[in-house]
Amino acid sequence: MNATEKLMNIDLSAEATAFGAAALRAFETSGGDALVQAAERDPGSRAAMVEPVLAGLGTWDLQPLQSPDDLEAAATLCRSAGWWALPYPIAERLARPSDLDIDGLIVIGDGRHAAAVSGLDFRWAATDLAGRRFAATPAPSNEPARTTQFVADLELTPLDAGPVLDVALGMVLSCWTLLGMLDRAMALARAHVLSREQFGQPLARFQGVQFQLTDAEVERVGAHELATHSLWSIAAKRADVLVDALALRLAVLEAAEAILRVSHQLHGAMGFCDESTLSWISRYSRPLRALPYGVSGTLEQLTRIAGRGGIAGLFNA
Amino acid sequence: MDYEFGPAADQLRSELRTLVQAHIPADFLGAFTDDPADLQTTQAFCRILAERGLLCLAWPEEFGGRGGSVWEQTVVREEMWAHHEPRGAQYMGVNWVGPTIMRHGTPAQRAQHLPAIAQGEVIWCQGFSEPDAGSDLASLRTTAHPDGDAWYISGQKIWTSYASMAQWCFLLVRTSREERKQQGLTIFLVPMADSAIEVRPIASMMGPHHLNEVFFDNLRVTADDVLGGVGNGWAIVQELLAFERVGIARYARCERLLHAAPAALGDEWDRLPSQLRERWMRMLVHARRARLLAYRVVSLQDAGRVRPQDAAAYRTAVTRLDQDSAAVLTEIAGYAHSTGEGERFCREVADHAAYSVAATISSGSSDMQRILLSRALLASS
Repeated sequence: MNATEKLMNIDLSAEATAFGAAALRAFETSGGDALVQAAERDPGSRAAMVEPVLAGLGTWDLQPLQSPDDLEAAATLCRSAGWWALPYPIAERLARPSDLDIDGLIVIGDGRHAAAVSGLDFRWAATDLAGRRFAATPAPSNEPARTTQFVADLELTPLDAGPVLDVALGMVLSCWTLLGMLDRAMALARAHVLSREQFGQPLARFQGVQFQLTDAEVERVGAHELATHSLWSIAAKRADVLVDALALRLAVLEAAEAILRVSHQLHGAMGFCDESTLSWISRYSRPLRALPYGVSGTLEQLTRIAGRGGIAGLFNA
Repeated sequence: MDYEFGPAADQLRSELRTLVQAHIPADFLGAFTDDPADLQTTQAFCRILAERGLLCLAWPEEFGGRGGSVWEQTVVREEMWAHHEPRGAQYMGVNWVGPTIMRHGTPAQRAQHLPAIAQGEVIWCQGFSEPDAGSDLASLRTTAHPDGDAWYISGQKIWTSYASMAQWCFLLVRTSREERKQQGLTIFLVPMADSAIEVRPIASMMGPHHLNEVFFDNLRVTADDVLGGVGNGWAIVQELLAFERVGIARYARCERLLHAAPAALGDEWDRLPSQLRERWMRMLVHARRARLLAYRVVSLQDAGRVRPQDAAAYRTAVTRLDQDSAAVLTEIAGYAHSTGEGERFCREVADHAAYSVAATISSGSSDMQRILLSRALLASS
């Protein structure tokens, strides 16, 4: 084996993968799909429902910016949370900066300052892409969670300037959560087309259906590769870590559009009924897809920040 | 995790770029032009690579290679395709004809063919597709009829790249009719200089000497020309595809041209519509995505765990990137100056755009890739 074979390693650690799998089971045991449904009925209950599970997993011992192993574990935890549309801002909580006495960090954009943090009694900070930090207080709202998906406007008070690494971490972990939702949407679509019969055969037999699924799957696996790459970028504290995070966000948002559209289409009317899990995954993916920037805003920010040099590649590294 | 190739591969990349700069004209766009000098350039470059052990870097040392790692092979693939494949037609011999002969060739076949490939002296073409056998390759009709101690091959191949410049053909033909059409197929290694073979070029937007029809009129072959045994052709074809799991590093040329765009346009870059600059950025993200998917396949291949669906997902992404980036680059090129660096950029983009049309068709159409991927996706778990 020569030097190059030793160095290139693009796999998550076995420990992180096992941790993600354990989290998936723990969330299932504690209620699985019923968690988000219960939280929608009673948003104030969601901390009590979720936090014991997170504590049991050792979530709050993770220090993603201090340890690459913890960073990978945090990512797989977020992904497993996404699978169940866990009604809890896990990425924001894991991204809390060590130099502020707060419970979580919210990345905000230029538009509406908001996050899916209503009904939780935490001390929040917010940061914009430039690293300007604010104390953030969720505004009370009487809107039902069914329409807000727990999103609350934030009242901001300027604090200081923080490291860009914190911004990247917050953005990347939320992408991992969204990726978990996309994993689930694909799994649901697959199961549906294998079982649902029309014209005397499962939908999966129709090539038109197969090709929709494959195109969505290519988006999913591509987003996974960028998500993994972004962890390395953070762990290596690369200078363009924010550009890498925005590149990931763009890819995951595009994947989300494609995958959720296909999953809904293949589910037919059942997909938007409350009795369908896809309906919940789809609805509760909205805050992650819109905040802090949607597709256009993310692309605009990426283009502005990266400038003429673009993103690092084979010909500009 | 670590996404760095490491010093050895970095040094290799640097060496390859130095060689390209020193030996390949700045306006080189591949071997398939009307200018015979371009073919000569590629032939000379292959010999230069061979002298340095770089042409067949991945091959075992006993066959003239230097046992390079999968990541070093990746570097070679990237640098060659990014710079318009200065190995010209020889990459086919290097990438899979040679390795297949290593595995299935007789001692005499190995001795005859492998040194010639390793020294950069021979061009191979692949006689697979036929007018009625494209994606459905096993339906091919070109047939070898046995007669005494020989066979006589008659039929037609089509879309045969490099046939007009090749000395040898890796030819898949039918030697018997069996229950399944995948049975009864055999590979012959045949010299293109035989008078029973006629090559007719097909004019195309990919270059005047790229595609060809090849007609076989009672070409005499013997048991010495059979590769891997009579009737084993289909299994060998499936196996050789494993050598080409990753295929062409299309993302590398996309990345190079995308990164070259701002400099090629100079001050004009800042006057581009903002939406076009954003589309450019989006393509850079998609190029990175395709590159990382390629690295996933390479990594799995290195561990002996690659599955057809992994390669299919990558190839679906990279061929789409090829065409999407060509569209964006073509629009950007419309703003370039018609002199100097701008003019060269426009020529490269035009060539990229022409080639990208074939990206979703050649080496297994994107539809076949999707079929492969959907089979895996929907298989019983």
